[in-house]
Amino acid sequence: MILPQFEYKRARSVADAVALYKKEKGKALYLAGGTDLIPLVKLRLREPKAVIDLKGIEDLKIIATRGGSLSVGANATLFDLKKDPVIAAHFPALVESLDATACETLQMRGTLGGNILQGARCLEYNQSLEWRKARGFCFKMGGKECNVVKGAKVCFANYCSDNAPSLISLGAQVRLMGPGGERTVKLESLFTGDARAPFAMEGGEVLTHILVPLKKTKGAYEKLRVRESMDYPLVGAAVSVIDGKVRICVGGVGAAPRLYVLGDIRDAASVRDVAEKASADAKPVANATLSPAYRKKMVGTLIKRALKRALAEGKG
Amino acid sequence: MKDDLNIVGKRVVRSDSLAKVTGEARYTADLTFPGMLVAKVLRSPYPHAKIVGIDVSKALKVPGVKAAISGFDSYGVKWGVFRYTQDHAMLHTDKVRYIGEDVAAVAAVDEETAMEALARIKVDYEPLPAVYDPMESMKDGAPQIHDQYKNNINIHIHIDVGEVDRVMEKAYLVREDTFKAAGEAYAMMEPYAVVACFKSGYLDLYMPNAGPHVRAKALSNMLRLPLNRVRIRHINSGGAFGGRSEVAPGDLVASLLTMKSGKPVKLVLSREENATSSRQVHDMIATVKTGMKKDGTILAKDFRVIYDGGAYSSTGPIATSIPFYVYEECYRFPNVRYNGYRVFTNKGIRGMYGCHGRAFLAGNEAQMDMMAKELGLDPVDVRLKNGLKPGEMTATRSKITSCGLKETIVTASEKTNFRKRWAKPSRLKGVGMGCVAIMCGFPMGFRSGSSCYVKINDDGQVTLVTGLVDNGQGNESMVVQVASEVLGVPMRDINLVNADTEVTNLDPGAYSQAAAFVGANAVRVACEDARGKIVAIAAEKLKVKVKDIGLKDGAAYSLKNPDKKMPISWVVREAFFRGEPITGTGSFFPNIDFEREWVTRPWGQMAGTFSFGTSVAEVNIDGETGKIAMPRFTSAHDCGRAINPMAVEGQMEGSIQQAGVAAITEGNLWDKGYLLNPNLLEYKVPLACDMPDMDTIIVSSRDPAGPFGAKEGGLTVRMNAYSAVACAVANATGELFSELPLTPDRVMKMLERKKGVK
Repeated sequence: MILPQFEYKRARSVADAVALYKKEKGKALYLAGGTDLIPLVKLRLREPKAVIDLKGIEDLKIIATRGGSLSVGANATLFDLKKDPVIAAHFPALVESLDATACETLQMRGTLGGNILQGARCLEYNQSLEWRKARGFCFKMGGKECNVVKGAKVCFANYCSDNAPSLISLGAQVRLMGPGGERTVKLESLFTGDARAPFAMEGGEVLTHILVPLKKTKGAYEKLRVRESMDYPLVGAAVSVIDGKVRICVGGVGAAPRLYVLGDIRDAASVRDVAEKASADAKPVANATLSPAYRKKMVGTLIKRALKRALAEGKG
Repeated sequence: MKDDLNIVGKRVVRSDSLAKVTGEARYTADLTFPGMLVAKVLRSPYPHAKIVGIDVSKALKVPGVKAAISGFDSYGVKWGVFRYTQDHAMLHTDKVRYIGEDVAAVAAVDEETAMEALARIKVDYEPLPAVYDPMESMKDGAPQIHDQYKNNINIHIHIDVGEVDRVMEKAYLVREDTFKAAGEAYAMMEPYAVVACFKSGYLDLYMPNAGPHVRAKALSNMLRLPLNRVRIRHINSGGAFGGRSEVAPGDLVASLLTMKSGKPVKLVLSREENATSSRQVHDMIATVKTGMKKDGTILAKDFRVIYDGGAYSSTGPIATSIPFYVYEECYRFPNVRYNGYRVFTNKGIRGMYGCHGRAFLAGNEAQMDMMAKELGLDPVDVRLKNGLKPGEMTATRSKITSCGLKETIVTASEKTNFRKRWAKPSRLKGVGMGCVAIMCGFPMGFRSGSSCYVKINDDGQVTLVTGLVDNGQGNESMVVQVASEVLGVPMRDINLVNADTEVTNLDPGAYSQAAAFVGANAVRVACEDARGKIVAIAAEKLKVKVKDIGLKDGAAYSLKNPDKKMPISWVVREAFFRGEPITGTGSFFPNIDFEREWVTRPWGQMAGTFSFGTSVAEVNIDGETGKIAMPRFTSAHDCGRAINPMAVEGQMEGSIQQAGVAAITEGNLWDKGYLLNPNLLEYKVPLACDMPDMDTIIVSSRDPAGPFGAKEGGLTVRMNAYSAVACAVANATGELFSELPLTPDRVMKMLERKKGVK
């Protein structure tokens, strides 16, 4: 499948990127590693007039400690982050989710910013234009209803980042810069909950940095997949223990990761409760390769597993 | 058979390896010709619809478009392997029968122009009710996909040997189970591609194919051209696995476009098109009823197997039969009934598959273990007791000649400590064994044999000409190795000219496991013919007896006095002087009963010989998630003599992946007629990290008719690896599987079912 025609622009700075975006009157997309964007463009799921390449912006590649946080430029590659000693020493959940993402060759290309801002996925959505035309456009494509759940006027596509759940469990914030200026928000509040447009971002906003509170944590990431590599999570569960508080985040089911905070780590009943609650909250449908009932059940199972590993002696 | 061989039986580097690992080897998509056009195909968006009209005129007006065609530009000749299955015109003008079916096509100066032109083709459809489930499709009143097949039953194979019902009634233990399996994707590394060049009335074609001669014949029929004007040329192939044995719609599309435009045309399918619109594997439902004696002897088998045949006949009767035959060639069934139904549905075209029949075969083997358990028997003993032995006849009267089944069972079980581990499995760990036999070639009429021509050039180097084809399994290297052994010329000094229909003669192709047994045999005979001529002249010149001449490293020498020798090139030059150049011809035609017919007369000798194999899988199941881990996989394969053990082991390892590990990951997913995973992300081909430690064991049985005792090299593993996995899961869980692949959600259900019973 060949790419459609588009203009290619290279930004020298974030301000430059935003200016280019304005010039293209919003008909542009930002490009970082391209591992998510290029397949979407090939499938004609995105048809940009121009692509603005952010790869040349040096400031977006940094990995540095600043004022009690680890500041990660959005263009840092997953592979570099996986090998970073500060991350290894502080954020076990993130190390595991980075390692679980795609495969090493793609980790070398894919960026953390791109991984966070990847589109929501569905077996009926991530298909070629010809395929989708034959099927009839679904709700996410502007059609009348969902193609998976007949009659539903909701999109059930799954947000499949491995790293957003672990970053949320670590209390990460994201910094954005756009036509309206700069802002910093909690990562979990970046999501709309609507899988048609999963991110609460203004047109032209660039995710510039991810800020993770620099504290020693315990943690783990559990991922349900069929293959040991090159598989998006069918369910992902990240757990981080920070100052005795447990933060649990579930991804891979529905439009946004869901965060659960546990007060007391020694309370076995509350562990069971949160696993059950998360499982009840998850509403998977038949839009991934494994059955929805099973994926729902696995939400609880994976949380319990991740918790068990995160709380195990000698970890973190 | 003498054992002092120089080349055959040695672990040699395959003759094609260097070009492939350096990227020098050319595949169809790499080809370019002056003025070559790019083709694109317009495909049906409907699972079933009447074609009211096709108008390509607007596409032709797009600048850069040189030709546009539809079925109205063809003769409408319908392809089918048999006279009674001719129903696939490749480009239909009356109806479309699946989503992704070829409807029209364009050839343009570049891909973008071609895509723009496709959008301007106007097709008027009248949608028809469609059916996707073979069980629904067989019912009265279901949408009729072809007029000539009542209840959409494409093929019914009925085999009835002995007295199944009477014996079943008297059996000590009877069990009936139903097993399902999703169809697989061939997922060849190389998506289908074709280059067609029509010039001065002659058509040249390049495409990955598993049988150039049968392909040329089909196209010559469809295009109404004499056979010698349709030339299928040699090209490297990135995998076939059974999916490239038949003519493809793209072959006709590219041919019509080059004939119309007068320019070379290249069509390369996308990964998605390769999945939706080239051949797929049959989904399957197998009901297996077995009657056993108290001592584990199988008394009777009663099978009912439904094959989801997709929209057209394809290799219908063969595909509907093969799973049964590879099983009856392995075990003794005194009473057996097989009812195989291939049923049309509004889904993509289906073909034979190297791993064809997993629901049936894995179901049989796993059921056998459950019965053994109930009777307090060891599954190894049950397999040894029921396994066929040399000299026996199969239920449908094929004689088994060489047979190393017993040796493969014994070796594989001993290597894995099978008996002990099976009897006392530790929690959620299991071992399982699968056995099968494979026919080396099957009846293909006069195309069942192969022939070869060899000439020795005046520098002593060799040119070998044969119709044999290689889809990546190493057939080319194999025959070069055989020729090297017979002629005493190093492999590097042998040039192979093969799979080019204007130069080479008929060959059964690379899809019935005939390449080693039939193709290499023809090469051996031709080389022996040439060898006789070399030896005669050398004996005369060296003044020794003919029997005293040996050939090695490009020289003829006296066996008694090796200092007496001369280069083969001298012999060749002498032969030219005498006006009798050193050439050889040879052919091999297997001992097959040609009265045999798949539907009307399903008995008689199926093939010249059979290979046998046993696989053992070891699994650990995660009780909380149902995920299967496969730490180790052992396969023992009786391939006669291994011509190149390294190549045979490679085939066995690939088979462990494609059948064994795939049994827990691979399956096509459908939403009615829409294939949900036509890509390599959601269709889960196992990756390197998913592979178990592998132990591949070659059991040598020296077939009396095979070239140097060889039989096919590796296919048994493709047809028993999933059985081993299914049996291992049964051993670990105490439950029989109901559907493949054994994805974690299905395994979880098995575990829950087991808990419910407790």
